[in-house]
Amino acid sequence: MTETEFIDLVGAESGLPLTVADLATGFDDLPGWDSVHLLKVLSALETERGITLRVAELLSTKSLGDLHRAVAAA
Amino acid sequence: MSHTVLRDLHTTGELAARYREVPGLLAGLDDTGLRRAGAVLSRVDISDVDPALARFTVAVTGSSALQPIQAPLTAQLARHGFVPDVRLGGYRQHAMELRDPANPLFGTEPDLTVCVLDADEVFGALSTPWTVEDVAAALAEHAESVEALTGAYRRDHAGALVLTTVPLPRHWAAQIVDLRSRALLGIAWREFEARLLRLAVDHAGVFVLDLEPLVGVAGPLLDPRMAAYTKVQFSDDVLAALAREIGHVARALRGRTSKCLVLDLDGTTWGGVLAEDGPTGIVTGDGPVGEAFTAVQKAAKQLAAQGLLLAVCSKNDEDRVRAALRDNPDLTLREDDLVALVANWGAKPDNLRQIAEQLNIGVDSLVFIDDSASERGLVRATVPEVPVIAVDADEPALHLHALLADGWFTTQRVTDEDRARGERYRTERKRLEFRERTESLAEYLAQLGTTVELFRPSEAEIGRISQITQRTNQFNLTTIRLDVAAVTAALADPGREVFGVRCADRFGEHGVVGAVFLTRTEGACHIDNFLLSCRVLARGVEDAVVHALLARARESGATAVTAEYRPTAKNGAVAEFYPKNGFQPSIADAGLFTHDLLTLPPAVPHVDLRVPEATD
Repeated sequence: MTETEFIDLVGAESGLPLTVADLATGFDDLPGWDSVHLLKVLSALETERGITLRVAELLSTKSLGDLHRAVAAA
Repeated sequence: MSHTVLRDLHTTGELAARYREVPGLLAGLDDTGLRRAGAVLSRVDISDVDPALARFTVAVTGSSALQPIQAPLTAQLARHGFVPDVRLGGYRQHAMELRDPANPLFGTEPDLTVCVLDADEVFGALSTPWTVEDVAAALAEHAESVEALTGAYRRDHAGALVLTTVPLPRHWAAQIVDLRSRALLGIAWREFEARLLRLAVDHAGVFVLDLEPLVGVAGPLLDPRMAAYTKVQFSDDVLAALAREIGHVARALRGRTSKCLVLDLDGTTWGGVLAEDGPTGIVTGDGPVGEAFTAVQKAAKQLAAQGLLLAVCSKNDEDRVRAALRDNPDLTLREDDLVALVANWGAKPDNLRQIAEQLNIGVDSLVFIDDSASERGLVRATVPEVPVIAVDADEPALHLHALLADGWFTTQRVTDEDRARGERYRTERKRLEFRERTESLAEYLAQLGTTVELFRPSEAEIGRISQITQRTNQFNLTTIRLDVAAVTAALADPGREVFGVRCADRFGEHGVVGAVFLTRTEGACHIDNFLLSCRVLARGVEDAVVHALLARARESGATAVTAEYRPTAKNGAVAEFYPKNGFQPSIADAGLFTHDLLTLPPAVPHVDLRVPEATD
């Protein structure tokens, strides 16, 4: 999954206007970000890509970049 | 993808200004699309949206983390043309919130409060190890607390309350190993759920949505990882299904329940092609595929028995359609079940408009089901206010489920009027034929023998009175919608009077077709609202009623009757109603009228009217 595809999916699930540049921003500094968005992204990734993620582990990621790397490895 | 269109509009700041386009963008989206659209819509500041568009405010509270319902619920409300305002309560704060009308959750009084309960609230309070008796005791206590909260909410709030039942998750039931005890747990659980459902029966304005049938189609109930790590006790799919049901409750509360199902025939109501296979060659009745089509016909008939009107809109020769409906022994649906039949080779959008006109209902009161993607596309593009149900002629077993997936016909209460509605429309056809046979309108009205009765509604008639305020759009002077609870309150108010209007003629009963709401003031009387079904318009009933109200006010010693007209998109035809009957508009407020009772408008000789005595 490319960075662009990933950001598109996160944007769709969160409703936030995100760009690839936001991958490096920590969740705490991302305007409008909410921990619920993370759950929606994880659910959507599993449904769309037919994969099973390690949710417990991914909940502790600190940025979209972290999450993308972890998901790309799954 | 429409959610990206919405996101772009939001990014450029245009979404609020173009909110009218939102329902069109949401039409036809699946649950994922709606959830994503809802995520964008939740971020719109609705104070920027045209105040002429109807708002719908929902407060969501419950015993688990419910943030994931915000996006799908927002989308569902927007899909029905509302500007949604969905507010979430605090995590597990439902008991506090429902009991405290000053809670910030109710900063704006919601049209609807949703309280979603879950099983962990019950089991989480038990100490381990627990027994089935412990669960039964906790459930009894829990039911009492929900009953008390419901009572408190009803006392403090005018808005409706939606509760959900609580499906028993397997991971709790399976912790009881002996099967007899597990059966006892199941019994205790169902008794608890039955008590919750009972709240919807005992309270006006309280609705209990049964999650079990929803989980059956949308499950699993929950994702154990989300439940454990984030306290979200429902899967996205179940929350989407719940949001869909709540959307239809909102429609019903605002009187937008769809009134007529318009069926395509070939591939939708029966299999095959009538023009090729002939009236007896179409697929219906027995056999696996025939039975699937029969299931659709039976469901349509089942809905019609509760007040839904059935119509047909088909590309076929009309004679051939009538022959099939008459001669095919395996059809469940017959011509008598239909209130309108339009079979020709014209464009379906035009035919849908014609059906609406013939039935004297808005085209937005229709729901259209068709297996042809091009027909559906044409209808969506031309009459976007008609909800369209898609079915695939090659998989008819899914037709029934597609028909019922959305609760277009959800209503607060089915009344006697609803059950008799189809018959009344059929009588109306006879009336029209009679009208065509008589020479003049005056002769027709004289021979029609219209009788009208104003009456004080009994308990059993409150549902119908509320329904009239919800469903009547054209002859509705102020468009004040009242739910069952509000009508009950008006009836109990000694300063107010509520009348139903019953009407009949030589062709039969029209039933309860109107309502009048009055407020008594010092030396005068104010008509809060006057409503009449379009079925009995243009025959003097409205003039006879207002004449009777004025005469009655004068007899009781009043020196004036005041009344209001408030314009909406649909009630323009009654703008002149009060002036025409001798009322003078007020100088300060053009929507306010006064009749000085010196000269009453003429009585209506061809209408025989009865009014109850004035009481003090």
